Amino acid sequence: MTLLNAEDITVSQGGTPILHPVSLHLEPGEPLVILGETGSGKSLLAQAIMGTLPRDLTARGRVALGDHLLDAARPNGFRPLWGRQIAVLPQEPWLSLDPLMRASGQVAEAHRLVRGLGKGEARAQATSDLDRLGLSGAGARYPHELSGGMAQRVAIAAARAGGARVVIADEPTKGLDAARRDEVADLLLAELARGGGLLVITHDLALARRVGGRMIVLREGRVVETGATASVMGAPTQAYTRDLIAADPENWALRTPAAPGAPVLTATGLAADRGGARLFSGLSFDLAEGRILGVTGPSGCGKSTLGDVVLGLLRASEGRVDKAKGLTATAFQKLYQDPVAAFPRHRTLEPTLLDVARRHGQSQARIDALMPRLGLAPVLLTRRPDAVSGGELQRLALLRLLLVRPKFIFADEPTSRLDPITQKQVIDLLCDMAETEGCAIMLVSHDPALVARTADHVLSLGPDAANVDVTPPRVARALQ
Amino acid sequence: MNTLITRGIQALMVAVLIGAATFAMMRALPGDAAYRIAAGRYGYDNVDTAAADAVRDELGLGGPALPAFLSWLGDLLRLDFGTSLVTGNPVIEEIGHQLGASMALAGVAVLLSLVLGPPLGILAGLRPGGVLDRLLLVVSTGLKAVPQFLMALILILILSVQFRLLPAAGHGEARHFILPALALALGLAAVNARIARDAMARIGAMPFYSFAQWKGLSPHQTLWRHGLRNVSVPLLTYLGLQFVTLVEGVVVVEAVFGWPGIGHALVHAIFSRDVPMVQGTALCLGLSFVLINAVIDVLTQRIDPRRAT
Amino acid sequence: MSDAVMIPRPAGHATRWIGATLVATVLVFSLIGPLAVPGDPFAQSLMKALSGPEPGAPLGYDHLGRSIFHRLAHALRLSPAIAIAAVLSAGLAGLVLGTVAAARGGWTDRILTTLADALLALPGLLLVLIVLAILPGTAFGFWAGLSLVLWVEFFRLTRAATREVLVSPAVQATRLLGFGPIYIFRTHIWPEIAPMMLTAAAFGTATAIMAIAALGFVHVGMRAPTPELGLMMVELLPYWREAPMALLSPVIATFALLLSLTLLAGSRET
Repeated sequence: MTLLNAEDITVSQGGTPILHPVSLHLEPGEPLVILGETGSGKSLLAQAIMGTLPRDLTARGRVALGDHLLDAARPNGFRPLWGRQIAVLPQEPWLSLDPLMRASGQVAEAHRLVRGLGKGEARAQATSDLDRLGLSGAGARYPHELSGGMAQRVAIAAARAGGARVVIADEPTKGLDAARRDEVADLLLAELARGGGLLVITHDLALARRVGGRMIVLREGRVVETGATASVMGAPTQAYTRDLIAADPENWALRTPAAPGAPVLTATGLAADRGGARLFSGLSFDLAEGRILGVTGPSGCGKSTLGDVVLGLLRASEGRVDKAKGLTATAFQKLYQDPVAAFPRHRTLEPTLLDVARRHGQSQARIDALMPRLGLAPVLLTRRPDAVSGGELQRLALLRLLLVRPKFIFADEPTSRLDPITQKQVIDLLCDMAETEGCAIMLVSHDPALVARTADHVLSLGPDAANVDVTPPRVARALQ
Repeated sequence: MNTLITRGIQALMVAVLIGAATFAMMRALPGDAAYRIAAGRYGYDNVDTAAADAVRDELGLGGPALPAFLSWLGDLLRLDFGTSLVTGNPVIEEIGHQLGASMALAGVAVLLSLVLGPPLGILAGLRPGGVLDRLLLVVSTGLKAVPQFLMALILILILSVQFRLLPAAGHGEARHFILPALALALGLAAVNARIARDAMARIGAMPFYSFAQWKGLSPHQTLWRHGLRNVSVPLLTYLGLQFVTLVEGVVVVEAVFGWPGIGHALVHAIFSRDVPMVQGTALCLGLSFVLINAVIDVLTQRIDPRRAT
Repeated sequence: MSDAVMIPRPAGHATRWIGATLVATVLVFSLIGPLAVPGDPFAQSLMKALSGPEPGAPLGYDHLGRSIFHRLAHALRLSPAIAIAAVLSAGLAGLVLGTVAAARGGWTDRILTTLADALLALPGLLLVLIVLAILPGTAFGFWAGLSLVLWVEFFRLTRAATREVLVSPAVQATRLLGFGPIYIFRTHIWPEIAPMMLTAAAFGTATAIMAIAALGFVHVGMRAPTPELGLMMVELLPYWREAPMALLSPVIATFALLLSLTLLAGSRET
């Protein structure tokens, strides 16, 4: 029996179509993945099926949910089905829980008000839900006392409490590290195994692979390819799908190691603390021109802290960083995770870049020469940072660094907010920079595959360091 | 706990500031201050040079400024305000009489503003950009541009002088409350409504508010269980900050309506340069602000556990 | 408690335009009016007390036979002038101290914040009244007292915004790129606080005008025979029945002035 059947769903904004007809159906026990990059319309499709589109967008099409027939153009008809027929998993579970209500209350209220259980019964049911998800004893906590993973599980319990059989998960792994991403995927599959349908919307190829089932690939509001997830990912038939899959770090070619140049820095016995807890200790390494040191590990393990210590922005609890002699104060630079936050937001990019060029004895001509090298159109310079796409702005940030001629760049998750194809472009440029500019790079990423294929050496931080090929002590003196 | 210590420091600083200001006021008194104070204490007929000298020594008025200031502050911190220069009664007694009348007026005004403002604000915030929202914006902007004394004047002209519905002055009966309380409440309600509206609009747009409805809760249930509690935190916080506006309003409105409260007394005390009374009333008002905000700190921490950490 | 800063939000364009036009109208009236119709705001002529408009006195006469038109024009120059002077000095002090507190941190920040928090607990009118009692000259006293009250708001806004900007990645990047504090103030901090300062200045001006009028109205501000908005209202109040227009003139003018400033400022985010 088909759980959900959506036919010819379209979305338009003021008469302009932004999602072209898409049909999909959801069978019990078989997940459906909608894969697409930013602007592909994948979230619009999900919102049209749930009746949660923003007011200025209009949807068309027919949705059959169990024995309910709905018109996508009338979103009000969907409301009675929320929680009872469709459960929606939010993008950012932390922000999706009421900060002023305890975790168990947020699950119990759905049991009571949606399923109609009595007060005590609802509370008991909520406790058993949380126990089943491995959250025994966490029910009395407030959301800010939960970790991201725990919040995710509370959100799943709350979303499912109303008894819905169809689960729609919109980018459920946004901003999660690899371990947490797999955990979420397994959790969703476990819910699926209890009977029901699962629709996962994502740009994350690793998540798609893990979820399996069937897949729809979207691009710019149109369906590119459909089929079984395993076969689409194994043998894509469309050029775009091929590009997309090739852009997955798992599928990147290994970078040829660069010959080390002159030494840039030596770190000896570094240790750092956060909030009284030791993040890492006894880290020693050298870094030479043209080399890339990859740093990986789960969220909160101190990757960014290490970079800031090397840059001199934070003081190490122990140990020291020695810069090579003759390097200027601006030889050490940083590439940020969120490029929008790294530029002055009230100015257009041209004066910002020109100031940097002048400060370092260069002219407009140098900017003009670098723009095409980074694949950037001149018109971007007339815009403010928030009016430029993430990939373009990250390349402009690279351009800004090139004006300084740095000897060391700390790249702090520079592509974690970018789509796969854009991510590959930026990482390729970064590797290129290491080689042509003779620059040492410390590349932080939560994605072990990305680091493994890019870096000359890998430094793995965190408790499960033993799982990775190179453990911190072995990195010492290994980078020359 | 931490916030209570901060409030304690704030209270201390308030006392020091008021001490400094009233000390400067005392020193700036025209003529012989000691003589005037002695006159206030013992009556003009009983004042002689000896009594004035005794006061001079006691308050350190003749000596260098710093020791005099320190002894002045010392008296203040021991809550020894002395006696009124005008009536000769202890300041504490005078304030005790007036505080009740002011608190009654302020309490009625705040209640009235809470009945009028936040419910409208929340309704408007549930549909930002809707008819009610735009109407409320116009009305609240207009009301905010009317200072309390002007509101009092307009209310007196319309309700008291033109239509003779309510008394413009007097104190003691319930109907005497209506005009002064309304003059205070309308301005407060305009601000409350905006704060509630902005908070509701912001909370309504938060992911958890949508998620609550996706769980299957009705709009009404969502507002009741997730909206109001979240709106109450910013509302309470700004209610505390608004206390200063309320006190300013009380000072003016009491003077306009001849309400025998602390604000009325303060205006008179400043007018007649009754420094001990000014000091007592100012300290009373400043410390009430700190106290009320400390209570609100504790309340908001109970509602919002994130604030307690 | 210092985190509870109301962040001013610029008003919509249309609202600001209406506000600016209304402010301009009031100012034009007060500055050009007496040039177009010459007259003396102090000259009494008891014969004409409470009589209606005539060419030499377009708004009629008050209870002492003084031209309300000229008294109003004078009053509409006096309080805005004091208010703007107070806002300028308070704004400058708040901007400098707020930036210093945010940039230096430590004890500088702690002392300034404690002082600002203590002032916040005191009703502004009370401070103005005490300063008026200490300093000679009412206009000077108003300026000093209002400056003392108003700097706190500018300080808190500047401090909060500057602190936030200074820890942003954008400023960190700019520092790493080799730029100094002046460049950071010019490109990061000022663009962030300038629109807030404008809004706070409009609010501050309205607050100051309200304070001057309120104290005039309860006889503890400007003294007769100075033409001042609050004082004019309380003087004309007893003659409401005989000459309603005489009382309504300062009432309408005050409301128009305050409304225009409120519109110019826009609303505040909570």
